[in-house]
Amino acid sequence: MRITHLTKSYYSADAGACVPVFHDFSLSIPVQSIMVITGPSGCGKTTLLHLVAGLTAPDSGSIVREPSETGAVSYLFQEPRLLPWRNVFTNVELPLRTSMPDKGERDAKVLRFLSLVGLSGYEAYLPSELSGGMRQRVAIARAFAYPSKLILLDEPFQSLDVKLRHELLQAFLSLWGEERRTTLYVTHDIPEAVLAADHVCRLDGPPATVADQFPIPIPRMNRVPGSPALSQFEARLYDGLTRPGMAQGAQGSST
Amino acid sequence: MRLSTSSPRPDSNSIHCSKDRQWPRHLAVAASCALLLCLWQLGAVLVDARIILPGPGTVLASLVGLISAPPFSLNVGMTVARALESFLIIVVSGTLLGLLAGFFPVFQAAMSPLLTVLKATPVMSVILLAFIWFSSGTVPIFSAFLMGFPIMFIQIAQSVAGMDPALEQMCRIYGFSPSLRLRHYVLPSLLPALVTGARLTLSMVWKVVVAAEVLTVPRHGIGSRLQMAQVNLETSDVLAWTLVAVLLTALGDLFFDVLLVTGRRLALFRARRTVPSRRGE
Repeated sequence: MRITHLTKSYYSADAGACVPVFHDFSLSIPVQSIMVITGPSGCGKTTLLHLVAGLTAPDSGSIVREPSETGAVSYLFQEPRLLPWRNVFTNVELPLRTSMPDKGERDAKVLRFLSLVGLSGYEAYLPSELSGGMRQRVAIARAFAYPSKLILLDEPFQSLDVKLRHELLQAFLSLWGEERRTTLYVTHDIPEAVLAADHVCRLDGPPATVADQFPIPIPRMNRVPGSPALSQFEARLYDGLTRPGMAQGAQGSST
Repeated sequence: MRLSTSSPRPDSNSIHCSKDRQWPRHLAVAASCALLLCLWQLGAVLVDARIILPGPGTVLASLVGLISAPPFSLNVGMTVARALESFLIIVVSGTLLGLLAGFFPVFQAAMSPLLTVLKATPVMSVILLAFIWFSSGTVPIFSAFLMGFPIMFIQIAQSVAGMDPALEQMCRIYGFSPSLRLRHYVLPSLLPALVTGARLTLSMVWKVVVAAEVLTVPRHGIGSRLQMAQVNLETSDVLAWTLVAVLLTALGDLFFDVLLVTGRRLALFRARRTVPSRRGE
């Protein structure tokens, strides 16, 4: 997927004028890989996901997907966003209604993905009867069961404790490994970033600029949290994200 | 992937648990009723004048007398018919216009002056004006409509405006068709407001209908009987008819209570059932 010369402004009541979130922003995301996007709050990460998902239209510029990436988009939000009045099963099943008219086939798929996220036996529960981590698992099952070509994640695990976060990240990565879809993964969590990413992109802004971008050339199964091989990448991200004056000083390194 | 250790059977005990904690409340309600009755009896004994304050026993006797007299069911029936007619008109029109107002802010703005006037107008002004314009049987229906409509309208309009934009976004991302969106997102979002609005409307409608009947005295109706009893200084009849009106309102409330409980049970039952059974128990 290639994002080229993207420009997007929002009207800000505080400033009383249009504030550019993206100005001539370009980034390319390799097909069937996970690109982690990180950066300070308010630099435009969520807006980027909205633009890619088509929830908002850019003022100018283009987002071009490869042929293998054209189609529906799965989105994992910060909250699970389940329908509170429908049970776990129906929440995963409803998005499939249009694309899979055969009920038997659809049911089997839903049950398979629910069991892949460890929720077999919980199909009949309402979201209010589950813990926060389980609800987010339902959302993961929904994102993967949905026949999308692109997956977008917006800090989906940030409200969970470390253990759950790790479990859910592993659940996500193992599902992702079964069928590789191009993924944009927004997170603030540095260990999470280096565990998940094929490529890391650190943004700065607003307006958003690419402050740093590098691949993590270690096979995902060999990555051990805190290992020396990973910690160099963690350190690089940590430095970048904490360096003072970063928000103003990184214009030169854009694109 | 580690399975959670808690039981994978949906637990249905939660309903019973909350019920157990309710009995002190029921006791308090019963005790309070008994206290009110005692105070009433005490007052009646102290005043010692049937015309001013008859005791509960006298009123009960009057009530039995009223019920056994032939036009009773016609009087009650006419009031109920007027109230229900008004209620149904309000629920349908309030829901439709409330939906329009919720989805189109311009329409909401256009409705707001009318609503402000309706909410601020005293019930009696509406009834007196309506009596100039309509016959006595129509006045209660019309007045109740004017008084009850804003309640239903505002409930629906606010609940449309308060629908969760996060879920709306989710429906868009996951390609929900318009019919799926309506059945699984819009209608369930609006259902609580529909029930609350209907409930508040009904209790308002009872009061206005009876008040309008008192002022316009149609041939049959609880309000007409109230008026007659007051003119004839039959205070125990006034209280007995009031009791009938109170019981009707309570019956309406009870209906909505039952509706809510069965609705909740039905939703839970439905959630438990809509899972394919191919995976064994």
